[in-house]
Amino acid sequence: MTFVRRPWRLAAEASALLIALIVAFPLYWMVLSAFKPAGEIQSTEARPWTLSPSLDSFRRVFEQQEFGRYFLNSLLVASVVVIASALIAFLAATAVTRFRFRFRTTLLIMFLVAQMVPIEALTIPLFFLMRDFGQLNTLGSLILPHIAFSLPFAVWMLRGFVKAVPEALEEAAYIDGASRSRFLWQILFPLVFPGLVATSVFSFISTWNDFLFAKSFIISDTSQSTLPMALLVFFKPEENDWGGIMAASTVMTVPVLVFFVLVQRRLVSGLGGAVKD
Amino acid sequence: MSGTTAAARRGGGWTPWLYLAPALVVLGGLLVYPIYQLGLISFLEYTQAQVSGGEPTTFKGLGNYATLFEDPQFWQVLLATVVFAAACVLATLAVGCALAVLLTRVRAVPRLALMTAALGAWATPAITGSTVWVFLFDPDFGPVNKVLGLGDHSWTYGRHSAFALVLLEVVWCSFPFVMVTVYAGIRAIPGEVLEAASLDGASQWRIWRSVMAPMLRPILVVVTIQSVIWDFKIFTQIYVMTNGGGIAGQNLVLNVYAYQKAFASSQYSLGSAIGVVMLVILLAVTLVYLRLLRRQGEEI
Amino acid sequence: MKLSARLAVPAAGFVLAGLAGLTATACAPQTSDTSAKNDEKSGTLRVWLFQEVSNGPKQKVVDRAVDAFRARHEGADVEIEYIPVETRAQKIKAAFNDPKSAPDLIEYGNTDTAGYVKDGGLADITEEFGAWRDAEDTDPTAKQSVTVDGKVYGAPLFVGVRALYYRTDVFDDLGLEPPKTQAELVAAAKRIRAEKPGLYGLAVGGAYTYGAMPFIWAHGGELAEESGGTYTSAIDSPAARKGIKAYTSLFGDDNCPAAKCAEMGGNDTVTAFASGKAGMVIGGDFSRAAVEAGTVKGKYAVVPLPGVRAGEIAPAFAGGNNLGVLKSSSHRTLAVGLMKELAGKKTQAELFDAMGFLPTYTDVREKAAGKEPFIEPFIKTLAAGAKAAPASAGWAQIDSSLVLPTMFQEVVSGRKDVEAASGDAARKMNDAFGAAR
Repeated sequence: MTFVRRPWRLAAEASALLIALIVAFPLYWMVLSAFKPAGEIQSTEARPWTLSPSLDSFRRVFEQQEFGRYFLNSLLVASVVVIASALIAFLAATAVTRFRFRFRTTLLIMFLVAQMVPIEALTIPLFFLMRDFGQLNTLGSLILPHIAFSLPFAVWMLRGFVKAVPEALEEAAYIDGASRSRFLWQILFPLVFPGLVATSVFSFISTWNDFLFAKSFIISDTSQSTLPMALLVFFKPEENDWGGIMAASTVMTVPVLVFFVLVQRRLVSGLGGAVKD
Repeated sequence: MSGTTAAARRGGGWTPWLYLAPALVVLGGLLVYPIYQLGLISFLEYTQAQVSGGEPTTFKGLGNYATLFEDPQFWQVLLATVVFAAACVLATLAVGCALAVLLTRVRAVPRLALMTAALGAWATPAITGSTVWVFLFDPDFGPVNKVLGLGDHSWTYGRHSAFALVLLEVVWCSFPFVMVTVYAGIRAIPGEVLEAASLDGASQWRIWRSVMAPMLRPILVVVTIQSVIWDFKIFTQIYVMTNGGGIAGQNLVLNVYAYQKAFASSQYSLGSAIGVVMLVILLAVTLVYLRLLRRQGEEI
Repeated sequence: MKLSARLAVPAAGFVLAGLAGLTATACAPQTSDTSAKNDEKSGTLRVWLFQEVSNGPKQKVVDRAVDAFRARHEGADVEIEYIPVETRAQKIKAAFNDPKSAPDLIEYGNTDTAGYVKDGGLADITEEFGAWRDAEDTDPTAKQSVTVDGKVYGAPLFVGVRALYYRTDVFDDLGLEPPKTQAELVAAAKRIRAEKPGLYGLAVGGAYTYGAMPFIWAHGGELAEESGGTYTSAIDSPAARKGIKAYTSLFGDDNCPAAKCAEMGGNDTVTAFASGKAGMVIGGDFSRAAVEAGTVKGKYAVVPLPGVRAGEIAPAFAGGNNLGVLKSSSHRTLAVGLMKELAGKKTQAELFDAMGFLPTYTDVREKAAGKEPFIEPFIKTLAAGAKAAPASAGWAQIDSSLVLPTMFQEVVSGRKDVEAASGDAARKMNDAFGAAR
């Protein structure tokens, strides 16, 4: 943007950097505290660096009852939810954008309304539902509800991407003798894929972060616990083990960060695409 | 949005329903049915004894709602929820929009820095974000009190300061969505339009108000509604940062209140009634949203 | 691409299979059938015990007892989970709600007995208890705490009673004597705080109900009064209010600043004392291990909590934990066997040595007292008459919905005066008692 005058731009850039620092500070402090030796965390002077980084806190985290298992459980739940909800949402978004049928508008409004549902309030009936189907204490009790809760937003966002694929392409495919499912999976799906990635960010985060369902549905089988539960273990009746908490938080945040970095470009263009339309 | 195109005109017979089937089955089983149950439980006498089979379930009609509406704490929590959500939405939107505009004014390096930091905040799970913020403001070991020279001032003791602390965390983790979305929207505005306005000598605020905001309106509506939905349902931050609702429940919001009623004191039917109230309020918000969309002449 | 598509097919199939079942049912959620179907003689027993402030020694004793149990029961495995006390109510209730994932044996606070029995969660073991040799020496108050309507629902694990821990070095330093009246207690607390601003005088907690109860009882107040099997709250009586006033007056910059102490629970106050941040604390016999593990080891002593007049002991809360077999357990015989092992005389004696838990058997307790003068003030407190929480199923709900902590916190933070806060609390208590009838 060439029309911005120089001193203004310098001021803007300085403040952008400053704000970036402020925004990043909590994360920096988290990682820093995870590496600080115990004595420094409990010390009353809070120094923004450490001269003797230690892996003790991480060791405590990983030694804690089957932390690796919790990590894998979380990863499994999140992956299944992301893949399943992306596929289901893709089909649904195609249906509501590329076809015209009765109740189409009603359905769309329903997808919108469904986003409003406070999932925490549904913990109560879902608990009984899962119990009646013997799913409590299993990862299934986490996977199923999260697919349902990711779907409405995913459908709503994917509509824009599906719509953006030109109709002419579809016509041409049919003229070439492609079947409907061939068009769907071999032409439309690859074109909409960037949008799928952008939406899966949301389902990934909400699933990965969940601790309410994990806390309510995984009652006694600790082998089915997920990461947030492991984090709660560090809040003990004694002193809070801040080093352990911060190390566990770091371990929990890193996979999401990696995921974000991987999809960053698609995310930015995806969000623009979804709402611009 | 141009809706009527060749393929759209095709009815497609059963095909759309086939495509929709998985979504409808999932939503029907895990969303609609639980909502129905939620409503049902809110009309029953349903406490621990009923759940574990100690006593039979009885129909209570509107009794739970009467109990709820007579409880002054409910109204207090409702008010706190609305005010707190409104404050969060406004703060998030203001910060997000301002930074989106800022992003368009700077060169690649500062932009990348801000974008990366924001994505980091966005990626941070709510539970760890809340934990880290509590730690930052910890009276004994947190850096904030040291820097501000506040001694061992406790941020979670006062009602307002506890809410303020949660608000900071909420804004921190939710402004990136607004910023990235609005930034993508601004980038889509043709450069000439902005340049022309700037050459006319319009101030930054003026350009935002008269040129950018109207063009960004659809985007702004989307991010506002999303923020309203997210902030009204806020749970994790309050639960973690104020330890389940603060001293004497001063920081309760509806979602946490419902959870405490249902799972801590096992008054499942009261908790469900609160859930139904939340649903009704959010439905009203949805209606407003649909109105707005329709007024924009947008076809959904 | 290909890979994700391939992964998704089974995933989607799984979802659909799950849902085909789901949509078939309707109607209100069923109530769970908590009664057990069978009594298996092998398999894994799941046990939930409370996580104590300093859990290591407890774990060692338990592990030893479990090993002995395993050696005697071939094919039986035991899985112990230590659950946090603060969230036990939710966890145990969830277990009642889903018998399939419930443990077989749980530790529970004796105030919860009536509530858990009403919930239909605990198994009636009257017969086994009657035939158990060790149980003959169980002291009557402890036996009462596992009994509802004449039936026995568990085995007492230890008696919990609280007294006043104080720092001998601080008292010597300031020339203080252990307080003999409540007024002296308050004066000593303020003196410590004034002379040593880094310390709380008496560490108190807004959520520390059991520390507050002796103040209410010492002033002649009651939590609730019983007549004809039903309870009515008495927390708003003039005498009880006097006690509430006395307790809440301890929150302030001259003893324990409200900003910090309003949030604290019993464990927090003990932790503060153990780490050398308080001059006094109201702690239990069971807090000993935590205090010994802290920095104040060797620098503290215990006396009974003084009453209003000299020579009186403030009535303490007759706490303690029990072990109970869940009604839903499919290993009832094994679970009862393990319960006897864990709550038997041998283990209780070891738990006393390791944790300071006061045994529930009169003979074991006498032996312990002879060996360890530390518990004398606790036994004195017990002898002076400890009081129990109302034996109503409503009490579990009052406890888990934090009625009393809320009341204290409201007063301490200045949001309500004692009259209003205790009035509200009384109303909530009566609702709970009424619902439990």
